Amino acid sequence: MITDRLGQELLFFDGGMGTLLQERGLKPGELPEIWNIEHTEEVFDIHRQYFEAGSDIVLANTFGANALKFHSDEYELEDIVTAAVVSAKEGANFGVHDGREVYVALDVGPTGKLLKPMGDLSFEDAYAAFAETMRYGEEAGADLIHIETMSDTYEVKAAVLAAKENTKLPVFVTMIFDEKGKLLTGGDVPGAVAMLEGLRVDALGMNCGLGPEQMIPVLKEVRKYTSLPVIVKPNAGLPKQKDGVTYYDVEPESFAGTMKEIVELGACVIGGCCGTTPEHIRAMTSACRGMKASSPVKKKATIVSSYGRAVELGDKPVIIGERINPTGKKKLKQALKDHDLDYILKEAIIQQDNGAHILDVNVGLPDIDETAVMTEVVKEIQSVTSLPLQIDTVNGEAMEAAMRIYNGKPMINSVNGKQESMKQVFPLIQKYGGVVVGLTIDEDGIPDTAKGRLRIAEKIIAEAAKYGIDKKDIVIDVLAMTISSDADGAKTTLEALKLVRETCGVRTVLGVSNISFGLPFRPAINSHFYTMALQNGLSAGIVNPSSEDMTRAYDSFCALMGYDENFARYIEKYGSRTAEVKTGGDTSGMTLSAAIEKGLKEEAHLITARLVEKTEPLDIINQELIPALDRVGKGFEQGTVFLPQLLMSADAAKNAFAVIKERFTGDDMLEETRVKVILATVKGDIHDIGKNIVKVLLENYSFDVIDLGKDVPPEQIVEKAVEEDVKLVGLSALMTTTVVSMEETIRLLREKKADCKVMVGGAVLNQEYADMIGADFYGKDAMQSVYYAQKVLDRE
Amino acid sequence: MDARVREAVRYLGYGGHAVDEQTLALIEDSFTELEEAVGKRIIYRIFDVSWEAGRLLIGNMDIASRNLSKNLRDCKEAILLGATLGIGADMLLKRYSLTDMSRVVVLQAAAAAMLEEFLDQWQSRLRVEFENSGQYLRPRFSPGYGDFDIRHQDRILRMLDADRRIGLTMTDSYMLTPTKSVTAVIGISRKREECPLEGCEVCNKKDCIYRRNT
Repeated sequence: MITDRLGQELLFFDGGMGTLLQERGLKPGELPEIWNIEHTEEVFDIHRQYFEAGSDIVLANTFGANALKFHSDEYELEDIVTAAVVSAKEGANFGVHDGREVYVALDVGPTGKLLKPMGDLSFEDAYAAFAETMRYGEEAGADLIHIETMSDTYEVKAAVLAAKENTKLPVFVTMIFDEKGKLLTGGDVPGAVAMLEGLRVDALGMNCGLGPEQMIPVLKEVRKYTSLPVIVKPNAGLPKQKDGVTYYDVEPESFAGTMKEIVELGACVIGGCCGTTPEHIRAMTSACRGMKASSPVKKKATIVSSYGRAVELGDKPVIIGERINPTGKKKLKQALKDHDLDYILKEAIIQQDNGAHILDVNVGLPDIDETAVMTEVVKEIQSVTSLPLQIDTVNGEAMEAAMRIYNGKPMINSVNGKQESMKQVFPLIQKYGGVVVGLTIDEDGIPDTAKGRLRIAEKIIAEAAKYGIDKKDIVIDVLAMTISSDADGAKTTLEALKLVRETCGVRTVLGVSNISFGLPFRPAINSHFYTMALQNGLSAGIVNPSSEDMTRAYDSFCALMGYDENFARYIEKYGSRTAEVKTGGDTSGMTLSAAIEKGLKEEAHLITARLVEKTEPLDIINQELIPALDRVGKGFEQGTVFLPQLLMSADAAKNAFAVIKERFTGDDMLEETRVKVILATVKGDIHDIGKNIVKVLLENYSFDVIDLGKDVPPEQIVEKAVEEDVKLVGLSALMTTTVVSMEETIRLLREKKADCKVMVGGAVLNQEYADMIGADFYGKDAMQSVYYAQKVLDRE
Repeated sequence: MDARVREAVRYLGYGGHAVDEQTLALIEDSFTELEEAVGKRIIYRIFDVSWEAGRLLIGNMDIASRNLSKNLRDCKEAILLGATLGIGADMLLKRYSLTDMSRVVVLQAAAAAMLEEFLDQWQSRLRVEFENSGQYLRPRFSPGYGDFDIRHQDRILRMLDADRRIGLTMTDSYMLTPTKSVTAVIGISRKREECPLEGCEVCNKKDCIYRRNT
C-alpha cells in the first residue's frame, strides 16, 4: 500500500503530460482525454517513459475527465477513464525493470468552472461530477486519487468529499499557490492546510504555477503548518512566452538540483508539472533516490479558516462576533422568519468592520427549518465576508449540513461532556474537520468548582482522541454563569479558565456577556469581566464587536500585553480621539430634503432622528423624503443628475426611512402602504447590479421588494408570484444568451399568473426586444421602472 | 484627470457633463480599493489565421463572422488573449451591494476602466515589439462584438488553457467568471492600417449614452 510508504520514504511522481501530447500532435483546445482511446499507444508510451525514468506514481490521463469539462458525442466518460487507467497500468508493465512497487493515480483536475456564489456551478454538482469520475477510476484499478492544480478551496472540498464518500482510495491533494503563497481565489497556506487536514487527506502540497525555485518559500510555509507528508510538483520554471507560445526553460539537471533542495526542506513526494519531461524526472530520480524523506512533524496550532483566510486561536486573543444569534434579538428573529437575508448579511459586515475575527452563526428558532436556513445563511455570509464562521447549533442535522457546504475549516459550537453529545458531534468533526467548542457540562450539570469543570474538559479531550481528533481542534468553554444568581460565578469561571489552559494546554472560549445577566448597566460589568478573562487565558471571547466597551477592553488588553505591535491598531482606532465627546455631522440649518438631494447619508440619519421626535412619520415621508427623491429622479431623467448621485440620494433616503421605521414599528399607517414587487436576475445570468439598483429605488418609494437574487429559475419566480399574489415582476438579463430564460419566465407567468405585469431591463434589451419576448414594459433606466411600478400598482 | 478616471466617468453615463466632486472622490477611492483587491492576469497565444470556403479559421477554431473577418483582413496570424482582474473585484462588488449601491456602480465602472487600461498598456508594449519586426497589431475584437458569436468564448478559453493558467472560466451562458474579464482576438498584419477604429467607435449604436465623444 502506498500509504505505508508515504512519509517513510521518498516517492516520485511523473512529469508533464499535456506538452508531450501536444508535441505528438494534440491541438490546442482539443480534449487530451480523447487520446486515451484514439491514440492509446502515444499515451501508453509516455507513461512507460516515466516509469523508466524512475517514477513510482504516474498520473492517468484523466486531468479533465469530468462530466463538466469533457463533452464528447463519440465517447462515454467511463470508457475514457477506464482506458486512461489501463494505459497507465500497461505503462508500468513495460516500463518498470527493477521490480519496484509502483502506483497509478487517477488524476483529478478542476472542473473548469467557478463555483457559486461567484460562478454558476453548485457545490453539489461539482461533487457529483468528481464522484462519477472517481468511481470509474477505482473500478478501473487506480491505486490512489490525486486531486491537483486546484485554485479554489471550495472545489477541492467537493473533490475530497467525493473521493472519501465514493471510493476507498488514498487521497492526495495539491493546489496552485503563487509566489506570495496565495491561491487565485485569495486563500492562504494555513487556511488551505487546515481545511485539507480536517478532511483527512493523506498528503498535500503544491503543483503548477511556479518553478522549483519559487516553490521553496511556499514549501517552507506549508511545512510550518502541516502535520502531513508534503507533495511538491513544480513546472519546469515560470512560464515564458515567445512568439505567442508558452514554454518553460529550466533544464533537467538544474531542475533536479533544486528538487534535491526541496527534499532537504521536507518534501517527501516529488515530481514535475507543466514543461517537465521524462528527462527531468530521470535527472530528478537519479539525483534524489536514496535521500531520506523527512517524516511529517505534528503541529499544535489551533486554526480555523474560510476560503480567504485562516485565523489562529493562539496567545493573542481573537474576537468571535455574537450578533447572529436570535436569542434576545427581536429584529433578527423577525428577519429569520421573513427570510430577510440582507439584514443578517449586514450584521455580518458590521461585525467584520468592527473588528471581529470569527462570526458565530446561530439561526435556532422554533418553527424554522434549521437545516435549510443554516446552510443558506452560511453560504450567503461566506459570499460577503471571508471571516471564518462558528456554526452554532444543537441540531445535529443542521450542523452536518452546514459543515458540509462550509468553505474552509469551521469552528463548531458545540459539544459537551454528555456521552450523547460527544457521540453526535465527534464523528462530524472526524469527517469534515473543524475546531469544536467543548462546554464543561455533562449529565450531572455544570460543576460548581473549577476542578469539576476541568474534569469535564479532560473527559471531552480524551473522548475526542478516540475519534482521532487532536486536542488542538478542541477549545474549551468553562461557561460564564451570571453573578446575579451565584456571587462566586465569575471567580469560578476565571479560575477554571486558568486551570484548563494550564493543565490541558488547550485554547479557550467564553460567552462573556452571560456574566451580567439580570444586572443593570451590563456593559460595565461585561467589559471588565472580559479583561479579567483575557488576563486568565481566554483565547476567544464571544462578544458584541459593535459594543465600544468590549472593543476598548480588547484593544487595551492587546496594547498592554504586547499583542499590538507599535500600538498600530490602538493608534489607528483611538489616535484622533481626544475626549469622550460624541461628535455628529454638522447639520445645522440643513433640511432632510437637502441632505437627501445631496446624497449625505450621515446627515440624513441625524436629521431624521431629530425629526421623528416631533413630526408624524407620514409627514416626514410626504413632505421631505418623497419630494426630495422626486426632484433627484426628475434631474436624472433630464440628464442633470447621474447614476452615482441618484444612488447616493437613494442611500441617504434609505437611512432616513430606517430611522422612521425604527421609531414607528408596527404603525399601521406605514405598513399598509407597502405593495409587493418581485425582482430577479433570470436563470443563467449572474450579473445583478442593475437589479440591485432598481431594488434600492423601489424601496425608496415604499415598495416591498421581494428580491429573489440572481440565476433564478423561471419556476421559482412564478411560484413566488403566485404564493405572494404579486402584481408586478421585474426581470433583469445582461446577455443575449440569457434573454431566453427571460422569455421563458414571462411565458410561464402568463400561464400561471395572468394578472401579473412584467417589466424588464438590462444591457442587451431594448423596446423591440422587450416586445418580442412579451414583456409589458421595458425600463431603459432604473427610474423608469419606478414610474412604471407606480403606474401599474396605482400608487401615483 | 487620469485617463482611467475619465473612462470611469464615461461608463457612469456622464456623457459630456462635468462630474461632481462627491462622485469624483468616490471614483478615486474606488480605484484605490480595487488596486488592493484585484489580481490582474493575462495570457495569450498566437495562432494561424486562414480562410476556408468563406469561413474564418483561427488555429482550428472555425468562426462565421463577417465583422471579425473584416477586422482580420490581410492577417496571417492572430493573438488570442484572456485577461482578468480576478475574483477580488467581484467580492468587493458583492460586499458593497448590501450597504452602498452608489459605491457599487462606481466600483463597477472603475473596474471596467481598470481592465481596459490594463489591456491597453499590455497591448502597447506588445505593439512596439511587433513593430520592430515589421508587424502591426489590429484593435482587440471580443466575442459578442458585432456578429462574432459569444459562444466562441468556450473554445477560446480552452485554446488558452485559461482556467488553469489564470483562473478564467465561464458560466453555462458564456459569461466570463470572474466577471471583470475579457477574451479577445488581435490580428497581426504586415500591413499598417491607417487610423484603425477601436472599441467604442466601431459600434453602430450611435445613440449610446456611454459612447465616447466622437
